[in-house]
Amino acid sequence: MTVTEQEITDYVARVRAALADLPPTRRDELTEDLADHLAEVAAEADGTLVERLGEPETYAAELRAAAGAPGGGRNLDQRVATAVVRVRSRLRSIDTRLGPPLGYATASDFLRLLRPGWWVLRGYLAAMLVTVISTGGSFGLLPRFGGELLAGFIMLVGFVLASIWIGRRSAQLTRWPRSAVQVGSGVLVVFALSSLIQAEDRMRYGDYGIDPTSINGPYDQVRDVFVYDSEGRLVENARLFDQNGDPIRLGYPDCEGRVDEYGNPLLRPYPYCPDLAPFGPRAPGAPMPVPTATPMPAPTATPMPTPTAMPEPTGTATVEPTVGPTATPTGTPTPTATG
Amino acid sequence: MDTTQLLKGVLDLAVLAVLREEDGYGYDILRRLREAGLEEVGDASVYGTLRRLFAAGLLTTYVVPSESGPHRKYYALNAAGRDQLTRSGKLWRSFATTMDSLLDDRGMAA
Repeated sequence: MTVTEQEITDYVARVRAALADLPPTRRDELTEDLADHLAEVAAEADGTLVERLGEPETYAAELRAAAGAPGGGRNLDQRVATAVVRVRSRLRSIDTRLGPPLGYATASDFLRLLRPGWWVLRGYLAAMLVTVISTGGSFGLLPRFGGELLAGFIMLVGFVLASIWIGRRSAQLTRWPRSAVQVGSGVLVVFALSSLIQAEDRMRYGDYGIDPTSINGPYDQVRDVFVYDSEGRLVENARLFDQNGDPIRLGYPDCEGRVDEYGNPLLRPYPYCPDLAPFGPRAPGAPMPVPTATPMPAPTATPMPTPTAMPEPTGTATVEPTVGPTATPTGTPTPTATG
Repeated sequence: MDTTQLLKGVLDLAVLAVLREEDGYGYDILRRLREAGLEEVGDASVYGTLRRLFAAGLLTTYVVPSESGPHRKYYALNAAGRDQLTRSGKLWRSFATTMDSLLDDRGMAA
């Protein structure tokens, strides 16, 4: 006998998996003594089960057809059913693998112990949901009913007891009440997570209980600043500073085509968009303001030109002392010219 | 058309016929069918047919403990099963006669 017990068990499991779309009772009925039958087959001949009987899935299809069971072929239901079976067995293996690190045979053994804790938490969450609804959005950590703390506590105790009661009886619930409980629990979990995120935000900004959004500042609407001098002319490239010398930044330079002109957009002078000036055009007689900072360069401009202006006449002699012979007619200062 | 296709229609009758003389367990019935000449009959087909006939109330089962190897589930014909066998048997005979004469008329060798 070359077929092991394990091989038979595996074969039966795969046949059952292939019949997963059948109602459980029908499937059990079809496969109840399959293992015994396979053991019989195994006892009487050599070779593996797959060698003699074919793949379990083929065997299952033949069994299904011969037994007159519905389905057969790879229809959608069956594919979904096999997928479900596969996912379920994957989950089961994850379950058993996660168990030992937690100190239990399976992870679900451990989670099952936490169920009463969840029931209590569920009651609290239900009370908090009622708190939020009845007090209109502003709430702390304690349940209140219409703002009343005592009523809130009574409600909390009631909800927790009810949640425990439901939890202990969930096994006996019929289909609809059970789905209702599951949907309700799902809603509470979503509520809990969203409240947690909200509370986290409020804690982090350090003003717990105070609405963190800014009051409408009077300058929130300002997008650009236009400075006009006493003649009513638009001053370009104006800069604003406060009493401490800090630049006053208002608006934001979002004019097309002018964004790259200055490296840091916040260092740009006002107005960002002269074309959008609210008053204009200027009076006909008024001189055009020169864009390039007229008042500042004027005093510094005079000393500067001298070195740059001079070279032209003397340039022929000083620029190229090595030219030597060709420079002779005009080049007096250079020693090379005479020698 | 090969034997497998023919078998589909008459496997019920074949299984009932095999059980007429003697009760049997699944593998035993399969072996008897093969010994009788139905070589191509599949294991799962016989097993499934037994389950279906049992579900239809034509067979009874009982388990016989075995000293060596697994327990064996024996299948036996009950009254309904014998009835069914008689009726199906008659139907088959008349059908087979019709087919025989049809083939004879066309001058085909048996």
